[in-house]
Amino acid sequence: MELYDDVAYVYDGSLEGLLSAIFCAYAHHEDPCDVVVEGAFQPRLSQRISRIETDVHAAHRVRAGIQRTCGRQAFRAVLKASLSGDEQAGTVAYRFVRYAMDEGGKSAVSNIAHPSVAPMHAIVRSVNQECEHIRQFARFSHLKGNDMDLWFARIRPRDNVIPLVMEHFVARFNIQPFLLYDEGRRLVGVYDGTSWYQAMPDADLFLDRECMSSEEPLMQDAWRRFYRALSVEARYNPELRRQLMPKRFWSNLTEIQEGAPGLRKSTRP
Amino acid sequence: MDLTEKLEILADAAKYDVACTSSGVQREARQGQLGATHVSGCCHSFTADGRCVTLLKVLMTNACIYDCAYCVNRRSNPEVTRVSFTPEELAELTIGFYRRNYIEGLFLSSGVVRNPDYTTELFIRTLRILREEYGFRGYIHAKAVPGTSPELIHALGFLADRLSLNLELPSSESLARLAPEKANLDLVKPMRQISESIAEDAESRTLARKRLTTYLSGPAPRKAARAFAPAGQSTQMIIGASPESDYQILTLSAALYAKLAFKRVFFSAYMPVVEDDRLPKTDAIQLDREHRLYQADWLLRFYGFDVSEIIDEEHPFLETDIDPKATWALNHLDLFPIEVNTAPHEMLLRVPGIGVRGANLIMRARRQTTLSERELRKLGIAYKRARYFITCNGTYSGLGVDFSREGLHARLRAPIDGGRHGRRSDRALPGQLSLFDNAQLCLKGA
Repeated sequence: MELYDDVAYVYDGSLEGLLSAIFCAYAHHEDPCDVVVEGAFQPRLSQRISRIETDVHAAHRVRAGIQRTCGRQAFRAVLKASLSGDEQAGTVAYRFVRYAMDEGGKSAVSNIAHPSVAPMHAIVRSVNQECEHIRQFARFSHLKGNDMDLWFARIRPRDNVIPLVMEHFVARFNIQPFLLYDEGRRLVGVYDGTSWYQAMPDADLFLDRECMSSEEPLMQDAWRRFYRALSVEARYNPELRRQLMPKRFWSNLTEIQEGAPGLRKSTRP
Repeated sequence: MDLTEKLEILADAAKYDVACTSSGVQREARQGQLGATHVSGCCHSFTADGRCVTLLKVLMTNACIYDCAYCVNRRSNPEVTRVSFTPEELAELTIGFYRRNYIEGLFLSSGVVRNPDYTTELFIRTLRILREEYGFRGYIHAKAVPGTSPELIHALGFLADRLSLNLELPSSESLARLAPEKANLDLVKPMRQISESIAEDAESRTLARKRLTTYLSGPAPRKAARAFAPAGQSTQMIIGASPESDYQILTLSAALYAKLAFKRVFFSAYMPVVEDDRLPKTDAIQLDREHRLYQADWLLRFYGFDVSEIIDEEHPFLETDIDPKATWALNHLDLFPIEVNTAPHEMLLRVPGIGVRGANLIMRARRQTTLSERELRKLGIAYKRARYFITCNGTYSGLGVDFSREGLHARLRAPIDGGRHGRRSDRALPGQLSLFDNAQLCLKGA
């Protein structure tokens, strides 16, 4: 029995792209088997591939439709799913929107036992947890130079969390301009003192030892020693630490790394 | 001695105070000021022993006039280098760490220098620098020193978010034996003062917001600048340094929660750090017992249990191989199995394998679909444990197991697997080793 049409929609990875793909599915009266991002796509056997053009007007129509029929919370869930790094996220979001628009309505997003909603719930939860990890583990360094006085943090999240966490950091650190750099996606969240925006730098952003302010090495050393002094040897439990602080974040943690994370390594001849 | 060395010494001295959370108060950010807090707190790091690092936890100084038997900073311990922070240094360090997103705020404790009032005045000076000069809106947890005068506690409460006073030992007899200088200090009086001040402050803020007249009411009164300890108060008890049973400890905790509106009681397994004749001679650390006590504490605070349901005088110690909630379920098998689609929330919480989150998910999901085994498995509960106690739409999936105390005990037993390293492998079982001659001590209620 053919559950879905043998076609895969490939979109550019943005929220507008996902909403355009959903628009296309309705416009062409199709039910694609997969809805995937350009880079992470492996076609199935005998599957037709349909590349979706990102159409901002179509995206707005879909957004308005979802908010009207299924509520703001449903749209927020789709937004978080579009930011997820999971390969299945696009397909799960598409199935959820199909179910919510056709049958579920306003109560779709809370029908968490339904097979179309349960995976969506799991993906949204995973994105929320990644946001919380970044709020916990982002470490800023103070850079001070001739005309520059800002704070810089490198992160490597699994999902694209910068649009979701910038508000938290902007509110908390509103007196200091900062950059929050996602090294996997080459995306940086910039706060200039009044408002924040996203940018894509041309090259990878590193820290230069000369740029760091005078008290930065002292503070990092103090934090490292404080962190080590706090643990009680008799309660040593590395499995628990790894469970609560996943190893994928360790490369950017000041207290685990010996030098400042993100420091430019010297180029070898 | 430079700042980093001082920090290392004073953090090392403070690490045995486990009362370190940054939750309880939601303070929004304000433009032009640094910091904000979130009601659930935020753990910024985790140490090698798995404990969370959320605040800059330090002592103001590790010099102390007291000589408590269990404390590494005791006056008669010659191996400790005594150092001290100045209030300006500590405030600068806190702000520096906060700006780098290392911490949520400050946890300030201290050894007692000169007298309790002098120590508290040092705290107040540090917190004033943070709150008034730096405009810091992050989290501050300050320890109230027993014996401080009420006016200073009053001032401290308006600067800190959480106040705490360590009971350390669960009964006054143990306190008299191990910390005789503190024994004649009334520990309960400042706790009572703090909880009364919190209640009074909350009430006056509510009244100020109410419109008491319909006409000609003036402009809404401005909210008072700060609340008194908005995140409540907490305390800590050492487990294993003295012979009290779990029954005495849990009864005391329940009384603190009920009568003095405590937010949290912490338990710290006794770690031998100093030699003393009055302390137990064993090297084993009661980490399992601490774990069971925390599980019982969670039942009191989140699962709606009463302390008499968890523990009583005939069995004054919690079981080590099975958690307290499962023990209760095994003692009340006549109430099970319950039907997940119709049972009330309170009964869902009592099923072993269904936690607070699981019960909320079930309540949410069953409004729209009838839950069968397939949906329940995907929902996020420990189905393998819960299936003996529930029916899904009439179907019971726990067949094949003898529905009796012994049969289910074998299924539900979960020995604590807290790592296999170092001292954890020396597990001291509570009540079995006769560490103390006299295990029958009566408890003075709060």
